[in-house]
Amino acid sequence: MKKLIFFILFSSLITSLALARSTGCKEGNCDNGYGKWVYTDKTTYEGEWVATKKHGQGTETWPNGYIYKGEFKESQWNGIGILFFPDGSTYEGEWANGFMNGEGTFTWSDGKQKKGIWKNGSFQE
Amino acid sequence: MEVSKNSFKTLSEPVKQFGGLVGIIILIFLTFFVLNNIFGEGDELVAKMKIEEERIAQERKLNKLISSLPSGVLVSFDGTDNFKLSDELYEAVCKATKLIPQRAIMGANFLNFRAHEIYTINGNKIDETFVKWDDEKNKCFAGFVVSGNNVGVDETVKVSGEALSFLSTGIDTRVYFIKNF
Repeated sequence: MKKLIFFILFSSLITSLALARSTGCKEGNCDNGYGKWVYTDKTTYEGEWVATKKHGQGTETWPNGYIYKGEFKESQWNGIGILFFPDGSTYEGEWANGFMNGEGTFTWSDGKQKKGIWKNGSFQE
Repeated sequence: MEVSKNSFKTLSEPVKQFGGLVGIIILIFLTFFVLNNIFGEGDELVAKMKIEEERIAQERKLNKLISSLPSGVLVSFDGTDNFKLSDELYEAVCKATKLIPQRAIMGANFLNFRAHEIYTINGNKIDETFVKWDDEKNKCFAGFVVSGNNVGVDETVKVSGEALSFLSTGIDTRVYFIKNF
């Protein structure tokens, strides 16, 4: 029984150590400067940092295939950027508070396009 | 009556004991027969058990198939380096999948701001998730329901779309991309 408890505790320690080593700032400077941060779910951000926040130009890659390349402000997608959806669809244009806000073009994977003004992810007819 | 009592008394001890044993067995059978009629579900229960057995067999078959798939991202569309699902596998994976991870929900919320708001206000709480195979459209649909109080108003929002990519962990599969646009 003691051996089992020791084994479980030891395994937990090794797992948490391994997890801690694979996440966090992996390259560069993630406080002020240019760096790469890896999250526990394997989402990565590579780009500019200001006061430990994503700020400036950067690329955020989600494990399920979403990729955002563009401007960040206060760790949110803000400014001009392009979002690649997993199926190949894209939105290129203005962003505010992490959503499509402003002028932009949505292009479906089959080439069909919708261009105009967007508000919080919705196209304004 | 007196005659039968006397004739019973004249019987040998082993015969009496055997008769008693048969009597007890009949009584037990009768008791269970009565109880089954009162509380039992008879044919209905058998039918339910058969359905459950079939479900378990189907689940085992799907689990076997899932474990044979390569670990990683499985997709139903062209143009990626990920493992491309055949039509048959797509249906099987859809039927075997139950989980929808957070990033898939966040991705679907890009096109549904109300859902995003309720989702974040309520601490990323999801009321319900579903993954269903649509026989008519021959497509896999997945989605989730979020509800909560937003600026004094109780709201429920359902987000759904085509499930086009999955993550295979080797043990299970999870919806990775819900196309709701």
